[in-house]
Amino acid sequence: MRPFALIHARPATPETFVAPYTYDSALQLNVLPDGRPVITDRALLLATAATVSTAGSKTHFDD
Amino acid sequence: MTVLILTSPEDVTADLVVAALHDRGTPVVRLDPADLPGEVSMSAEYVRGDVRGYLSVQERMVSMDSVRSIWIRRPGTPGAGAAEQSEWLTAEAGAALYGALRCVRARWMNHPAAAAQARYKPWQLFTAHHSGFAVPATLITTFPQAAREFAEQHPQLVVKSVSGTHPGDPPMALPTTLVAPDADFSAVAAGPTLLQQYIPKAADIRLTCVGTGLFAARKKSGPGQVDGRFNSPEDADWEPVEPPVRIARSVREYMAAAGLAYGAFDFAEDTDGTWWFLECNQGGQFGFVELATGQPITAAIADWLAGGQDSRTPHGEP
Repeated sequence: MRPFALIHARPATPETFVAPYTYDSALQLNVLPDGRPVITDRALLLATAATVSTAGSKTHFDD
Repeated sequence: MTVLILTSPEDVTADLVVAALHDRGTPVVRLDPADLPGEVSMSAEYVRGDVRGYLSVQERMVSMDSVRSIWIRRPGTPGAGAAEQSEWLTAEAGAALYGALRCVRARWMNHPAAAAQARYKPWQLFTAHHSGFAVPATLITTFPQAAREFAEQHPQLVVKSVSGTHPGDPPMALPTTLVAPDADFSAVAAGPTLLQQYIPKAADIRLTCVGTGLFAARKKSGPGQVDGRFNSPEDADWEPVEPPVRIARSVREYMAAAGLAYGAFDFAEDTDGTWWFLECNQGGQFGFVELATGQPITAAIADWLAGGQDSRTPHGEP
């Protein structure tokens, strides 16, 4: 029998946006291809959804 | 004195705090426990009643004696990045790293013991009630009959995850969801089920507590909206709001009872203006609130991590 809560689950939305940044271990920050820290690009921060409240749900149980 | 940040490399929210600490001239070492062993190395030695040791990542090395504070911000699973992964290696790496760090006289945001306790939803509701919050009636059960009786008492119910996790195989999302009035509760027997009185919302409230600082934000609820977390970021129209005095007092009581230095509280504001406690996530996200409202949460976290040298305690109480 399927647990009651799972009857109410829905397919997770697949991520279609690939974040164009890499981790720079010297700076200890993620940087864009032009070397700027990601955090200087507010629009990108929102677009990656890495800062939204459900981001952690995908890999952690905190959000 | 160094701030140690345990997080995954791709976490750009951690970047915000790292940059703020750089601005303050505070030394930072950022590492992911997933990279132990591998890019992260450690050594800890018990010497005459004291544990001394070192952590290194890439070109950086930090003495555990010189760690001022530890921020646990969504770290990876210890050993997960090793060439030959195993459950045993994860257990060994986790026990070595977190075991040694528990001997460090640093303040934690949050201490692992406090964090583990604070994740339990029943404990959250219990503590919230005793801290003076309004808490919706809640049932966690595997008895279908108990669920039916609860539904008779509370005609409008939501179901949510007890653990806060989402099913992974296949990947599913489990938002807080309204239960249909004619629901068949027999499947409650197949797994512990959390049912809660539905609070018709005028707004969602996210209150982020950093040390003693409170940052509350309000988002007006759309018609029929139950779980605001699953709206798109573009819909997140958060505005700063001053928490009522009674709420602020209860938040501080809750944080003290939980032994937390950081907590993200979710409330449902009803049509009478009452803030109903839904949960407190000890590792809750703050980036979306800060981006929307401009509230200086990053700065507060950085200040907390960089300061408070005199208040360091062996067990990391805030």
